[in-house]
Amino acid sequence: MRNRTISCCALVWVFTVLLSLFPAANGFAEELILLAGAGLRRPTDVLVDRFEQQTGHRILTAYDGGGRLITRIQASGQGDLFMPGALFHIEALEKKGLIRSVRPLVAHTAVVGVSAAAVDRIRSFEDLARPGIRLALGDPQAMALGRTARTIMQRAGLEKEILQNTVVYGATVKQLALYVARGDVDASIIGRADAFQCRDRMTMIPIPPAWFQPETIAVAVLQSSRHPDIAEAFCAFMASEESLSVFGEFGFLPLEK
Amino acid sequence: MRRLFILPLILLALLVLGVVTALFLPLSPAIALRTLASPEIRFALRLSLTTSLAATAVSVVLGVPSGYVLARHSFPGKAVLDTFLDLPLVMTPLIAGVGLLFLFGESGLGGLLSRWGIRVLFTPLGAVAAQVFVAAPIVTRSSRAAFESLSPRYEWAGQTLGLAPGRVFFRVTLPMAGRGILSGTVLAWARAVGEFGGTLMVAGATRFHTETLPIAVYLNITSGEMEVALSAALILMAAGVAMVLLLKTMGARPAAAIKENLP
Repeated sequence: MRNRTISCCALVWVFTVLLSLFPAANGFAEELILLAGAGLRRPTDVLVDRFEQQTGHRILTAYDGGGRLITRIQASGQGDLFMPGALFHIEALEKKGLIRSVRPLVAHTAVVGVSAAAVDRIRSFEDLARPGIRLALGDPQAMALGRTARTIMQRAGLEKEILQNTVVYGATVKQLALYVARGDVDASIIGRADAFQCRDRMTMIPIPPAWFQPETIAVAVLQSSRHPDIAEAFCAFMASEESLSVFGEFGFLPLEK
Repeated sequence: MRRLFILPLILLALLVLGVVTALFLPLSPAIALRTLASPEIRFALRLSLTTSLAATAVSVVLGVPSGYVLARHSFPGKAVLDTFLDLPLVMTPLIAGVGLLFLFGESGLGGLLSRWGIRVLFTPLGAVAAQVFVAAPIVTRSSRAAFESLSPRYEWAGQTLGLAPGRVFFRVTLPMAGRGILSGTVLAWARAVGEFGGTLMVAGATRFHTETLPIAVYLNITSGEMEVALSAALILMAAGVAMVLLLKTMGARPAAAIKENLP
């Protein structure tokens, strides 16, 4: 009796697995692979869902840091779409002839994320240099934002003071945002979207635009795509006003025209 | 039958061999040697050694008595406690890291400790704490098993011959359980050396400050410095091989190594 129940369950399970392997049963649905920057996860999840519902195609999304995604694309020679957190990664693949087309979407700027516990001590960028302030920064070699932060403090003329106040370096922006949100450090230089998504626990101080170049988020069709037409349709969908407003809801800014 | 079973064995061996070769083939010996001598790797090696040895020592101090209590005494809730103590072994490293950060953060225990001048957060001490978290359960488990395999009669005999309980433990029980505890300690050390998630979150990824070998591997893979990452990995793997060999010469069964989650 128990054996029969188990085998029944097993059959149902095998069936479900088989069904999920063949979503194409409903006509022309195809499966595309999107390699996306880990920081873009929240708007991307929403938009991928919408695209799937509208078209019936499936988008399998893999999130990771841009550098590691590049390694993956080159090593596997697979993937349809690429949407890293910085244009620089697309350009790197473009040089190797691995990109079919590119469509810019939104801008990702850096801000100072200030922990709720430190708002009265840090009111301006210059306050980051005050003695006794505890800062977290991105590792300049491992994180694009770490390099941006370095440029910003050099242009502000406060590199020495800010580095002195830095108590920890992180390897991902989410790690930095977590430290700030929990009050383990007073502030950090992080992406606007990351600060925005934790806005109940931190405030944002803008950084003068003259001190750095905001990142452009773009989506590209890869040469390795087996369904370039669907991939192009996905890019057009992502660049639509409606989709861009979803990015806006998560703290990304429109590109300056 | 035997031929049928040899095939999977060969496949398995080829898989391991394949991964190791694929990893280290692109690394030329000259570059490896130069990177191994680089200040960054030398720092990471030194920090990994000191933190992991400290963590192993703490784990022994915590784990051996715990194992003894679990082996010799029964009390209500023992099974629950026993399962609970094994949790760190099955936790996803990054989740363990976040949990440790919450515990040792400024708003948690860490705030209290820093008032006494003990800074765990963003210091090498944070790495030690993270390593103890994963290493201590291994010492506890293996010393418990070692004590359980000993008949308490030896201890009774010691006591009837006039030894105080403390001396019985150190002169009779501990020497007899020594081999089991030692092999557990080596495994715990291996685990401490490889600890990553907790170190990343609690100690941070600060180069030349909290950069243990696993952190060096991660930072350098992320920044595309494959040679540095692979050199650090080479040291980690050599240490792993050395520890497995050490275990083998101590006569520990390989099954124990698998059970204890050797990284």
